[in-house]
Amino acid sequence: MTKIAWRMLAFHPLRLAMTWAGLGFLLFLSQAQLGMLIGWCATCTAIIRHSGADLWVMAKGTCAFDYGGEIPLSTLYKSRSVPGVLRADPMMMTWNFWQSADGRRTSIELVGLDADAVGGPWNILCGAPDATHIDDGVIIDELYLAMLGVTGLGDEAELYGQRAVVRGICSGIRTLTASPFVFTSLSSARKFDTHYSADEITYVMIRCADLQSMEAVRTRLLNELVGVEVLTGTEFEWRTILYWMLETGLGMTVVLTAALGFAVSTLVGSQVLFAVTQENLANYATLSALGFTAWQHLKCIVCQALLLTLGGVLIALGLFQIAAGATARTPVPLEMTLNVQIMLLGLFLITGLAATAMSMRLVLGKKATDVFLG
Amino acid sequence: MNAAIECWSIDHRFEGPTSEQAVLRDVSLTLGNGDTCVLLGPSGSGKTTLLSIMGCLLRPTAGDVLVAGQSLDWRDAAQLARMRRRQIGFIFQHARLLPFLTVSENVALAGENAGTPDVQKRVDALLARLDLSDAAEKRPGELSGGQRQRIAVARALVHAPAVVLADEPTASLDWDNGAIVVDLLLRHAKEAGAAVLTVTHDQRLIPRFQRAYTLDRGRLVNE
Repeated sequence: MTKIAWRMLAFHPLRLAMTWAGLGFLLFLSQAQLGMLIGWCATCTAIIRHSGADLWVMAKGTCAFDYGGEIPLSTLYKSRSVPGVLRADPMMMTWNFWQSADGRRTSIELVGLDADAVGGPWNILCGAPDATHIDDGVIIDELYLAMLGVTGLGDEAELYGQRAVVRGICSGIRTLTASPFVFTSLSSARKFDTHYSADEITYVMIRCADLQSMEAVRTRLLNELVGVEVLTGTEFEWRTILYWMLETGLGMTVVLTAALGFAVSTLVGSQVLFAVTQENLANYATLSALGFTAWQHLKCIVCQALLLTLGGVLIALGLFQIAAGATARTPVPLEMTLNVQIMLLGLFLITGLAATAMSMRLVLGKKATDVFLG
Repeated sequence: MNAAIECWSIDHRFEGPTSEQAVLRDVSLTLGNGDTCVLLGPSGSGKTTLLSIMGCLLRPTAGDVLVAGQSLDWRDAAQLARMRRRQIGFIFQHARLLPFLTVSENVALAGENAGTPDVQKRVDALLARLDLSDAAEKRPGELSGGQRQRIAVARALVHAPAVVLADEPTASLDWDNGAIVVDLLLRHAKEAGAAVLTVTHDQRLIPRFQRAYTLDRGRLVNE
């Protein structure tokens, strides 16, 4: 039946090509929207993920990584003394203004790190990895060089009147906000900032001695510390994602467009399959008269659904690869996980099969005796 | 020896908008192997309905049909499909070839579906006999009406069915093409021992068949 299924579809090659192209572009639209969503989710949680911390200690009510509140520095020392804590590292996260040499001011997210730079940039392109700890040193992402009005290592800027020198350039550390991340040492961050006092930080990043005992460590930390929340890395990622995607409405727009693209692509696919079946009803009646069974008809329609889907999916994947490559080094990269790809394909197949069921009803409703009609 | 096809006391009624309408009344007909018959009658007399019932496409309101000695179970769609696939060859008034397949593939399809051995050899032989070898790779849309009807005949015969049911196979053909089609059918009946029942309005064809029946208001009359 595969041959018959294919020949039926290919009888109008232009229509088939247009259908594939239409399905491909619509599916690509869904993929691109989801890819953007995944890219954004990855972007807004990149520092959390790359920190390698099992638990994050933060001020109560912290809605996202970017909006951490002050907690006492003593929290760090107390955390280190909790049984099961392998290491605890501080991080300071604050908003600031970067004033470039030409006087232009740009909002930034300033991240202060301690000597080991846990939670710091992981993909240093040039400069020393410990550049944040050289006097007034900061590390910025290559994507934002122009935005920050600098061209490379050694360029200077001012943060609230304090001199900052670019001593390292990293890659792939993007931001969802229009404010790029700028990494520096804790001491420099305090110098650059006007809100935090010398005994305040934003986060304590905890690494547990044993992952199995993570929950026990969290309980101990909560018992030991006052006025803080303790989240696992995954929980903190999700809190950050949900804040950006739901509370800001950013994600809903993207999800809605993705759903719309998906719905339209499945409707188009279903409609084409239905139209091809309807157009070939007389041929199905002839096949019935020749002794073809309902099962054989079903196989034919399923084959067509798969062929239409396959063509659309291949085109969409090709387009996505091109788009992902083109956006890889932009603030809004398209990313996609295998699971999401499989889920998309599965949904597409399910709707294709629903269309198959409708088409099959059409075929079964056709009277076989119609072969005798003109 | 079993008859190729037998119909016993076939009644068939269609439900009309207000009442049931009897199309066939107590029709009994037996075609032995090698029998060739024509079925005559005015439009609406039930000829196509009878062909549909004999071709296992339409369940009669009452009565039995036996194909190659086997009684049909109308609830068993698989058995009906199997009968059509292996025992019956159809020729329709309008050829009804699949437009997306080549001539050769159209003919081979019925044979492959019936599990006929050496299908391609049979296809080639039939097309050669019909003087259509040159058209084997063409699509039906590229052929004349006469050529298409000859291909429909080849398709009906490729799996060597026990019964060939033809619904006005020459209606859309000129006399010469019609004669070729009838020759083929009669030759197949003789060589393969198949029963051939042809519906026609063309009185000139009647002498070429062994028997002629007329359907008159749903009743079969032996002429």
